[in-house]
Amino acid sequence: MKLLDKYSRLNITATILTFIIGSCTFYFLLNYILIRELDERLQAEQQEILAYVNTHKSLPDIVRTKDQFTIYEQAVAKVNTEFTTVKLKQNNEQEDYREIKFSLLARDKYYQVTVGTPLDETEALLQVIIGVTIAMIGIILLIGFLINRIVIRRLWKPFYSTIESVKNYHLSEQQTLKLERTDIDEFSLLNQSINEMVDRIQQDYGSLKNFTGQAAHEMQTPLAIIRTKLDTLMQNEAVLEKNAQLITDIEKAVHRLSRLHQSLLLLTKVENKQFLLNEKINLDKIVTDKYEEFGEMASALNLSIKLHIEPVAQLFHQQLAEIIISNLLNNAIRYNRPNGEIEITLNDTLLTVSNTSDKGKLDSTKLFKRFYRDADSSDGTGLGLSIVKQICDMAGYSITYSFYEMRHEFKLNFNQS
Amino acid sequence: MKILIVEDEPALNKSIVEYLTSQQYLCEQASNYRDAQDKIESYDYDCIVLDIMLPGGNGLQLLQSLKKSGKTDGVIIISAKNELDDKIKGLSLGADDYLTKPFHLSELSVRIAAIIRRKNGMGNNLISFEEIVVDVQAHTVSVNNQPVILTRKEFELLLYLVINKNRVLSKNTIAGHMWGDDMDMADSYDFIYAHIKNLRKKLLAAGAGDYIQSVYGMGYKFALR
Repeated sequence: MKLLDKYSRLNITATILTFIIGSCTFYFLLNYILIRELDERLQAEQQEILAYVNTHKSLPDIVRTKDQFTIYEQAVAKVNTEFTTVKLKQNNEQEDYREIKFSLLARDKYYQVTVGTPLDETEALLQVIIGVTIAMIGIILLIGFLINRIVIRRLWKPFYSTIESVKNYHLSEQQTLKLERTDIDEFSLLNQSINEMVDRIQQDYGSLKNFTGQAAHEMQTPLAIIRTKLDTLMQNEAVLEKNAQLITDIEKAVHRLSRLHQSLLLLTKVENKQFLLNEKINLDKIVTDKYEEFGEMASALNLSIKLHIEPVAQLFHQQLAEIIISNLLNNAIRYNRPNGEIEITLNDTLLTVSNTSDKGKLDSTKLFKRFYRDADSSDGTGLGLSIVKQICDMAGYSITYSFYEMRHEFKLNFNQS
Repeated sequence: MKILIVEDEPALNKSIVEYLTSQQYLCEQASNYRDAQDKIESYDYDCIVLDIMLPGGNGLQLLQSLKKSGKTDGVIIISAKNELDDKIKGLSLGADDYLTKPFHLSELSVRIAAIIRRKNGMGNNLISFEEIVVDVQAHTVSVNNQPVILTRKEFELLLYLVINKNRVLSKNTIAGHMWGDDMDMADSYDFIYAHIKNLRKKLLAAGAGDYIQSVYGMGYKFALR
């Protein structure tokens, strides 16, 4: 729920409640005051009648007017003076009357006198007041609604523009975050905090990236030394004779470390979007080249490769395209079965690489994760597929894995992210 | 053949010098920018092995001033940075080749040989070892003046072995040269064996001596018995 809606809801509820309580109180208070005024008038009438009786020793004549009536009734005993509100039928209409009942003594007889006056004036007044109150609630709600719609929306504009800027901000693109200036303290505080945070993050990110680059450089040199020293050591046949296996193992480890290192570096660079996808790349040409490059090895392993290729040009990066295709092809060869088959399909929307295998379905949730390796194999770096995935993510391609009829298939879709 | 090694890491510099010296090259060393600059200005080299990151300056600047002064020394850049930009920049500044650390010395030596061959023109296209003659330009091989038909890979392998003659080359090193460092080793070992076997068979059939020796199961050596 939007802050504005939540606020409005609360506000409207409170307003309505206040008005209801207020109007009720107002109604009862007004009613009470009006009735009291009527009562006073009736009391004055009573005084008049009593005074008349005192002087003339007889009951005054009844003068019937529109807004008052008087009734005398003989009574047995004296009654207490009391006010009541009654409903009387008059001209087929129910009407409310306020009455005063009192008794008086005239010609040695008790009389009960009732003086009444209609309440319709009071009721009309109350109706008007309630009408006005309801109209006022309506108007206030409407105005509140309009204020929320127009004014508050405008007041919140800097907030939404900040959100929009933050949403469009990408750390790796090295852009500066531009936030609109605002004269509202809360929002300018928010903007200021965001700016400070982004600066800090950018610094950290920059130093991390620097570190990665430097670490890479610093690691390559010792690796180069180990490798060249090994090359030199190998020339000493006396040493070699006794330590051939040892040296081979060291060399393998150095080779793996160096490849691992290159792969991690590549992953970092892809993640940092340090490649621009602005070359027109003929993917069919790359597939054919790689097919020739790997073909020799495939035929040595008795694997047959089937190609179904159409000419495809994509806006991409030469080196990355080569990496994707050779990683997929490399896997297809490595995890194949003897006398197996590899099928490569390339068209405008899809690149599919599938291979036969003795191995069952792979865990597709982990397949593209870094350092995921099949339990039986330890040769690879475990980074090949995650590099492919990372490049696809960056380029907005989707890559999916499926397994059917003992075939592993990787499908790369160019149009879909 | 005079070669200048510009590399600030002493251990690496020493290894390169030792390796290239054993291949009959005359090597000189420089370990910082100023030394390198002095030597490049004062002498002519057939090839300069140039590291980019140097104490006191950038190797690419050396390359620039070298080309500006009209010198024709061959240059191979060795860099820890596998940055494509650096590579393109280096090559566009006139470097002849670019090698990323960590490299194999045998690989460096093949590249240097190629640069020197190219620099010296048509005359030096023939590399020979005893009765075997390899024509680098025409991609042909002859034994006792009789042509031997080799596949492309077999030719590459023979050229590599001949240039790095008398050296023990591990299978890993050979694989790196033939298929690049990205290839997984386990896959390529049997493969190298198959190529070596075929190459040896063809050379023997043509009447050449058996120069390809297996070394303790870890690699091969091209040498006289």
